[in-house]
Formats: sequence, C-alpha cells, structure tokens
Amino acid sequence: MTTTYAESRWMGGACPFEAGWKKVMMWVFIIGDALLFAGFLTGYGYGRTMSADWPQAGEVFNLGLIGLMTFVLISSSATMAAAVATVSSDRAKAARFVWMTVVGGLVFLGLQAYEWSHLIGAGGRPWENPWGAALFGSYFFLITGFHGTHVLIGVLINVATAIRTRKGVTSAENVEMAGLYWHFVDLVWVFIFTLFYLI
Amino acid sequence: MSDSKAASLGIYWRTWAVLLVLTTIMFFLDTLDMPRGLFVGVMLVAMMTKATLIGGIFMHLAKESMDLIVTVVVCVMGFGLLLFGLTVVDAARIHDMLQGIFVR
Repeated sequence: MTTTYAESRWMGGACPFEAGWKKVMMWVFIIGDALLFAGFLTGYGYGRTMSADWPQAGEVFNLGLIGLMTFVLISSSATMAAAVATVSSDRAKAARFVWMTVVGGLVFLGLQAYEWSHLIGAGGRPWENPWGAALFGSYFFLITGFHGTHVLIGVLINVATAIRTRKGVTSAENVEMAGLYWHFVDLVWVFIFTLFYLI
Repeated sequence: MSDSKAASLGIYWRTWAVLLVLTTIMFFLDTLDMPRGLFVGVMLVAMMTKATLIGGIFMHLAKESMDLIVTVVVCVMGFGLLLFGLTVVDAARIHDMLQGIFVR
C-alpha cells in the first residue's frame, strides 16, 4: 500500500493508470468495442469504394429525421454528464438527470424503429434494396443495428442506474461507469452519422 | 455551494451547445454544392472535433493521467487507421479495375 502512483507507472503496480480498476476496465472495453465499430466502418468503406452504384444518402434517408436523432442522442449525453457531475452532492437530482437520459435513449430508439420500418417498407433488405448496390443494405442494417443494440443495452443500464442512484445503493463511481458507456454510444453515433449519412 | 455546482455543470451545457452547432454546420454544408474532396475533409475534421469533445469533456479523458490518454488514443486511432489504411488501397484497386470494365 506504500507504492505511490508515480513509482508504479507502467510497472504493474497497484494503480498504473492512476485510476480505479473499474474505470481502467471500462476503457479497455471501450477500446475493444470502438475497434469493433472501426472494423464495421472500414468494411463499409471498402464495400462502398469498390461499388460503382452506391446510393446517394440524401435520396434514401430522411436527413431531417437523422438530425433529430443526433440532437436527441447528444442531448442525452449532456444530461448523463450532468448526472455524473451531481451524483456526489445531490443523488435525487442525479437520478432525475439519468431518467432524462433514459427518455432520450428511448426517443432515439423509437425514431430508429420508425426509420427502419420506413426503409424496410420501401424494399430495403440486408441483401437487396431498390436504390443501388446490395452491400448498402447489408452495411446499413449491420452498423445501425449494432449501434441501436448498444443504445438499448445502455437504456437498460441507465434504468438500473437511475433506480439504484435514487435508492442510494450504488456508488458515484458506478454512475460514472454507466456514463462512460453512454457517452461511448454517443461517440459511435458521431462516426456513423458523418461517415454513413453525410459523406 | 449551489453557485459552484452550477458552474461545474456549465462546462457540460457549453460542450452540448458546441456539439449541436457543429452538427448544424455539418448539415448546412451538406446542402451546399462543395467540391467532393473539400466536403469530405471538412466533415472528417468536424467529426474528429466532436469526438474529441465527447471523449475529452463528457468522458473526462482530458482529466485522466497521460498514460491512460495515450493508451486509449493510440489503441483506437492507431489500430483504427491501420485497419482502414491496409484495406483502402485494395478497395481503390478494385474500384479502378471495375471502372475500366465499365468504360469498356
């Protein structure tokens, strides 16, 4: 216990990153999960570069809807950051911020379900679509589906976090870990939004 | 007490506002008829700026130790770019090959 942070740096000491094990493990998970999405997006870039008839995003997607989804997700990330910042001083307030984040996540999922049902109704499938290269549908459903699943899991984590924060049975550190996951989901959307919908 | 608490939340609301402004600018640029290369370049810069704000401020990475910052940034950006860099060359080759077929 006498080992100081500075001495243990990179030497396998008790605390090489000067952060708790939960935070370090959360970042290790985020690195891995980020590289999973990097793999998907690289695959998408590969498929798109070699396809001659990749559809125009503006002709397929309702960009106003995508803008609303982006607004909702960024806002929910801000309320989660506020929850993490207030949890040590005011648990009831922090729980309210987490509930606001949950609402944001649910609205995002609802809008995505609407987008999916609209595109499926228009003939979009993972193996074919009426707009151009078949790979377009494959990557669209794979990437937005994986991201949507992350959002759904985040909503469940946040519901548990909100209830446990209100009851006072979870630590401030755990709220911060839930926050890290939620911000990561928002971070991935920034990349999907730019690379898939705009470029 | 409540003043310092309000001040500590201010950074998050300001970050939120900057993220929304950047997103709005991206949407606006999308409606313009910009040269393709310039458009993609500006979008990538805006994307990385947003990612840095979310990672640095919302996820507090800017306040972590340099060891953790370097580990996260090098692993995600380094391996991500390596993955992309190694495949894009082949994708471009196939693209040119297909172009040749269509021109014929």
